Amino acid sequence: MTVHNLYIFDRNGACLHYSEWNRKKQAGISKEEEFKLMYGMLFSIRSFVSKMSPVDMKDGFLAFQTSRYKLHYYETPTGIKLVMNTDLGVPNCRDTLQQIYSTLYVEYIVKNPLCVLGESLQSDLFCSKLDSFIRALPFFSVRAA
Amino acid sequence: MADEALFQFLHSEIIQYVNRAETGESENGRCVSKLENMGFRVGQGLIERFTKDTPRFKDELDVMKFICKDFWTSVFKKQIDNLRTNHQGIYVLQDNKFRLLTQLSAGKQYLEHAPKFLAFTCGLVRGALSNIGVKSIVTAEVSVMPACKFQVMIQKILLGCDRRHWCEIRFQCEYGRGLC
Repeated sequence: MTVHNLYIFDRNGACLHYSEWNRKKQAGISKEEEFKLMYGMLFSIRSFVSKMSPVDMKDGFLAFQTSRYKLHYYETPTGIKLVMNTDLGVPNCRDTLQQIYSTLYVEYIVKNPLCVLGESLQSDLFCSKLDSFIRALPFFSVRAA
Repeated sequence: MADEALFQFLHSEIIQYVNRAETGESENGRCVSKLENMGFRVGQGLIERFTKDTPRFKDELDVMKFICKDFWTSVFKKQIDNLRTNHQGIYVLQDNKFRLLTQLSAGKQYLEHAPKFLAFTCGLVRGALSNIGVKSIVTAEVSVMPACKFQVMIQKILLGCDRRHWCEIRFQCEYGRGLC
């Protein structure tokens, strides 16, 4: 059980933060293209899910799963999108992503007056706290299952 | 919790605002002194509220202990971690986890911006002391965030002047046979 990587996007599609812990295979394209691809996919799938929903929609798009990995998605009311890829053993990451937002992003980025919102995150403190938070998660182990 | 975030956001915005208004070589110095003067006025008002029920202070050390314990707790919800003095009017207040710096960094990043974030609090302490009747100069230094040290230098010049002045009056009276 492990976490592969984590993306944080802002409302305009700019990737604020990306870190990886256990990525075995790269995408084959440059990082900017990868971020654009990810953001574009999320945007499309969210509108698809809301349009095609046969019942009244409550939360919208939550996660997708393949035979090897699962992608979890959490969007805040202010438009910050957190995307985490984990392996299949992880049940539901929504609370974790919500915790990352409230205890890490808000505390160390929003409250840091030297971090300009909307630009790529520079704070070392945020990166180190995020790293230790992910490593402390119960479903994180260094070697992928 | 909400009120703590409110003050933090307001404080950060004050610093950004003063920073933007000052442009030029002396920008950092003027920015810091503006913030310090703001803190001075706030400190004067705050100390009136906090000491309205406390008894009079016995001596300087008592005043400094009040600042370290009750005053710091009311403003920053924690006490000063270490107070040192040379018993000659210089006090060093050390806070190992200063509330306004914890979100900035945990180490050396953003160190050059740290003085601006301490200026308001320096003024706060100076204002509080001045309304108690202690004239002082307060400076701050930070080497590894979020720990910082505030140095308070008590000014004793006022007292010395009075004594000399008193001596001069008596001297003139004895020699000049004037009215004492």
